[in-house]
Amino acid sequence: MKRVLPGFGLSLGFTLVYLSLLILLPLSGLVFKASTLSFEQFWSIATGERALAAYRVTFGASLLAALINAFFGLVVAWVLVRYPFPGKRFVDSLVDLPFALPTSVAGITLATLYAGNGWIGRHLEPLGLKVAFTPLGIVVALTFISLPFVVRTLQPVIEDIEPEIEEAAASLGASRFQTFFRVLLPGIFPALLTGFTLAFSRAIGEYGSVIFIAGNMPLISEITPLLIISKLEQYDVVGATALACVMLAISFVLLLAVNALQWWSANRHQSRRTGA
Amino acid sequence: MSIEIQNIGKRFGNFVALDNINLTIPTGELVALLGPSGCGKTTLLRIIAGMESADEGVVKFGGEEATHLHARDRQVGFVFQHYALFRHMSVFENVAFGLRVKPKHERPSEAEIRRRVLDLLKLVQLDWLADRYPSQLSGGQRQRIALARALAVEPKVLLLDEPFGALDTKVRKELRRWLRRLHDEMHISSVFVTHDQEEALEVADRVVVMNHGKVEQIGTPDEVYSNPASPFVYQFLGNVNVFHSRVHGAWANVGADSAEGVPPKGKEALAFVRPHDIDIEHTPVAGGIEATVQDVHAIGPMVRVELAHASELIEVELTRERANVLQLAKGQCVWLKPRQVKVFSVPEVPLEEGGSGI
Repeated sequence: MKRVLPGFGLSLGFTLVYLSLLILLPLSGLVFKASTLSFEQFWSIATGERALAAYRVTFGASLLAALINAFFGLVVAWVLVRYPFPGKRFVDSLVDLPFALPTSVAGITLATLYAGNGWIGRHLEPLGLKVAFTPLGIVVALTFISLPFVVRTLQPVIEDIEPEIEEAAASLGASRFQTFFRVLLPGIFPALLTGFTLAFSRAIGEYGSVIFIAGNMPLISEITPLLIISKLEQYDVVGATALACVMLAISFVLLLAVNALQWWSANRHQSRRTGA
Repeated sequence: MSIEIQNIGKRFGNFVALDNINLTIPTGELVALLGPSGCGKTTLLRIIAGMESADEGVVKFGGEEATHLHARDRQVGFVFQHYALFRHMSVFENVAFGLRVKPKHERPSEAEIRRRVLDLLKLVQLDWLADRYPSQLSGGQRQRIALARALAVEPKVLLLDEPFGALDTKVRKELRRWLRRLHDEMHISSVFVTHDQEEALEVADRVVVMNHGKVEQIGTPDEVYSNPASPFVYQFLGNVNVFHSRVHGAWANVGADSAEGVPPKGKEALAFVRPHDIDIEHTPVAGGIEATVQDVHAIGPMVRVELAHASELIEVELTRERANVLQLAKGQCVWLKPRQVKVFSVPEVPLEEGGSGI
């Protein structure tokens, strides 16, 4: 078949080479290195007590942070799109700050604020809430660094909703509540899922900000990336790659699942297309 | 249900969108709000629907005050120019929406909802599309679904905002006839906004011509077309030739008996003649004016002739038969004789080009 757009072969070749060099090659190197272990050795490292606790902290805190952002990010995006207010552009650019700020700076700042003698920690501690140097601190740090993903994904989608849609719902007798849950939310749900996925994967990979606020106590507030680093520091390269392989596999499966969900929710309204 | 609009005014900053509008729409009537873009017709419709609040004045439905009633409590059906269908819902669910969001004690049973939705889809002749999604429909089909959705809640009043504005000419013509029939079957009051004079004249029982936030004329389609109340209405409803006072002087001889409402002698005046109200003759006629043929276009069933008289350009529309008899050629010298002239005093504000808006 003759194509109208030229350059398909060349650009596809380039894309594949680029992806291979940047992503596939390092990842396969990782798997290759880990494969020097026997299965029993691999299994005992991957399911060690400290490793399991680290997975739990990493994925649990990331999931919690992504969920928090899915909710508050939606609110922030909604307000930024829908309502004019003084200083809106300033607030809008604030959202991008976690993108640009070195994560270690974020980590140190948060740790200082939430420490027992910090500005915020000072008031939380008497209430029995310890944030810094606990798993809760990890959630705070991950929420901070992954917020822009949700907001920036949702903004264009919310901008696309015509005000007429809401007016139509109102003229048909729907309350604000019904309008939001039956009309608006289903429309932005695929984008919300995308934002959630991005925030979640960003949080899983986060290292810099977390190590400052987490306290890094083995079995309690140690994240997997930190465990990998500490193994490397003890020259246990193979052990580190084994953990990395587990992270890789879990992340891949999770992302695949969320992507499938997202594909389903975006396509279920066009699936029965019969060429009208 | 009848609609009464009393002294409605609305401003956006310094811009006066509506200025002291008074209008009564009796039950069962189909009314067109006609005017160029920016004349306030959509704002008026949105005020009736409760989607915009008026700065002053009163809206009454069936004699009852409804000025501050929320849109969802007004029992109006609203149809938008760009359909505003819910993209993630099937056609069936779109139409069923108004029934499903009713409070529990008013909500019909699932079977009853199904029956009513399918009835409505049959009414708009699209019951075979119930399982499709809006993105799979053509513009005309979408608008009919939007109409079925608006009718599902059994509104007392149907409001349509340029309902056919986004459709192509052929579909528009079909749909407006169909709307007329539908309106007659439903026994409700309908108001639709349009900038297309042909649409308003063909469909409506009454036409409300608006300009600059004011009502220029209210009347039946025939009244507003053949007896326009103002130069604006004359120009907006179809093509027209405007002759300024100096030309009017030359026509004074014929004008006396055929022209209506001639202003006092000596005052400046404008004479309005529709292009199809002018005859062309090869020989001099009493009271006729001399003109030169500039161009001849055959457009469908008629022939449009552009002529020059002094510095004025005059448009004349002839039937094909008449054009065949005359055999006009460019540069030919002919005589024009108007059959019907209407004369207005020169308005204080300069006239704008009449036209179709966007």
